[in-house]
Amino acid sequence: MDEPVDSVEALEDRISALRAAVRRAVLDGDADRARTLRRDLRHAEQDWDSALDAHAAKAEAGPREPQPDLDAGDESSSDWEPRGESRGGTLLPLREQVHEALSLLQVPAAPRLIATVHEAFFATSFPTARLTSLRRDEERSFKTAPFARPYYICAALAADFLSPSRGLLAISTWPMERRIIGSLSPRVDFLIAAVNVAQAIEQIPEPVPAARALLARFAANVRGSSSANSAGRPAGRIAPQSVIRAAQAELAVHQDEDRAARAEAARRAREQLDGVEQLFGAASFRRAARPLDAEDDSAAGARSPDNRAAGNRAADNEAGGHGQAIAGSGK
Amino acid sequence: MTEHPTEARLAKLRGGQPPQGYTARMIAALASNPGCARRSILDAAGVDKRRLAAYTGYPVPFGRSPFDITRGNSFEAQVKAEGAAQLLTLLRDKLSLDISEAGYTNLDEVGGSDGFPLRHERTRRLLTATPRQRGTMFDHPLLRFPVGGRYAYLEPDLVAFRHDDTFHVVEIKSFPVIDGQADPARVSAAAIQSAVYVLALRDLVGQVAEVRHEIILITPENFASRPVATSIDVRKQLGVLRRQLARLDRVEDLAAALPLSLTFDVDLDDKGVPHRSPGDLIGALTTVDASYAPECLATCEMCYFCRDEADGATGALGKSVREDLGGIEYVGRALQFARGEVPVPAEMAEAAAILRRAAVLRGEVLQAAV
Repeated sequence: MDEPVDSVEALEDRISALRAAVRRAVLDGDADRARTLRRDLRHAEQDWDSALDAHAAKAEAGPREPQPDLDAGDESSSDWEPRGESRGGTLLPLREQVHEALSLLQVPAAPRLIATVHEAFFATSFPTARLTSLRRDEERSFKTAPFARPYYICAALAADFLSPSRGLLAISTWPMERRIIGSLSPRVDFLIAAVNVAQAIEQIPEPVPAARALLARFAANVRGSSSANSAGRPAGRIAPQSVIRAAQAELAVHQDEDRAARAEAARRAREQLDGVEQLFGAASFRRAARPLDAEDDSAAGARSPDNRAAGNRAADNEAGGHGQAIAGSGK
Repeated sequence: MTEHPTEARLAKLRGGQPPQGYTARMIAALASNPGCARRSILDAAGVDKRRLAAYTGYPVPFGRSPFDITRGNSFEAQVKAEGAAQLLTLLRDKLSLDISEAGYTNLDEVGGSDGFPLRHERTRRLLTATPRQRGTMFDHPLLRFPVGGRYAYLEPDLVAFRHDDTFHVVEIKSFPVIDGQADPARVSAAAIQSAVYVLALRDLVGQVAEVRHEIILITPENFASRPVATSIDVRKQLGVLRRQLARLDRVEDLAAALPLSLTFDVDLDDKGVPHRSPGDLIGALTTVDASYAPECLATCEMCYFCRDEADGATGALGKSVREDLGGIEYVGRALQFARGEVPVPAEMAEAAAILRRAAVLRGEVLQAAV
């Protein structure tokens, strides 16, 4: 799914190759690989459907119709939205949909939440599996032409080692502090997201069920908001104001500590990381830290080992010397 | 690190395959049958028992279904989403956490690396930090635990810390609690698994803090996916585990007693096809003594192999039968005693008397029925 899908024939080749690979994986009894391959196969088949539809549409529109520009320069594959079109939903590329949802939340978020928010407020959803390659595509695009786009969908950084925080997406134009994830940050971000979702729902005269469900989800996990709601309101109708009040009350408890931790880590990030790393996280120090089990880690070898900060951090952490399985006396 | 003689020995037993790590489930199973040298040595060497059993002609029908695993993963992801928001709500309720106790640290990887030693070191640092610097929720901390003279790495779903200096093991399971009731077998499996975590966590934090013996089980409630928290007292399981683990023969002694040429390698070629003859492998397996009991059927991949091997032994009928027939090892012998066909040695007189009486009773009952 990495390269732009250009022709139906290429897809057909890919589909048959994938089928063979799935068969081999199943016969080998490798369930994990089979699952991944099956998913790729499904995607390829969907792309094949869409590509065929696109061809059909083109044929109907006549030969003079300009072709959709699929291979354009630094555009990544995720910008092409065959399924979005066929669903009759938004025509926006995936990255812009993600941008919309993140702009509403104003905090780094996981793909599932991003998709739910987009469904609630922008009426279209997308399979979260497609977001997994988005960050990689964005990173590639940034490396090819830095800052060529007004924004990038990038990573949130773990405060301790400034590595990309697993599973969280953010927007490159946000201040660094917002993209740092310390110990309290997940909770703080959850509360901020709750406030922002509640405020957005207040603006809508008749929120769709998906939006109300989203608010209910936040309300259930913000202490004080659901109890305020139970008085005299029909089930499922949660007052956005009660969520906002409760979330802000808890925010006041955490905010100072969280802000200090984030500011400190952000300062380190600005000092230690280069442009790409500031957006997409410090290259992992696997190579430096895992000399023992390097043989099962050939994939990491492909990553750039050139990280100045990585050396320090690895040295900081003397764990590298321990054996993975130490035989012998008790402790 | 494979320079140590025992380690090299175990690597040879395993053959060319990557080792399977110990899991809490395996330790619990091992502790339920500490006298089984076969399981001890196979687990210590990290042999893939499932593959071994299948290749010797005794495939096991159990194991987790992919649907169950997917459901388990998605339930865990759900309660841990958005900084474990759902989990925090439950824990605040159950542990009366202060509102300021909301820190969440993911220890799945450290700085982009998921290497065990590194993760364990990070876990140790975070969990033994001064109480004020300690967070509240630790997602997938990596604990280390000595089993039979070797270390096993264990990964609890979550460990929660409360400001009164107590740690709580949190176990997330996807089987439902319906109307306050859950499948007892699965609950007890979860309890013993959590007990292993409690022991490992106590080993790690030492005197720094207390690890509570009530673990918190998070499961879906009724037929929805709304999570609910239940406290389970695992003191009994802790006692059993401690006793049984102390009885576990040390792996080094076991390994030293085995012939040097012994290996359980199925000799895979580069296409994954085994070349060693199953008969040869069975010969290797029988070199190591097993202690089969019907309970093995629920926990061990080698169960069918061992059951077949134990055919005719009184132990195969269960621990209680073996104890009742103290000293009589084979069923055939027991039947002979019951029928009075052979002279009874003095040390088995008591058991033989019981057997004869049982035979008489059986005869009477059968006659009455005709």
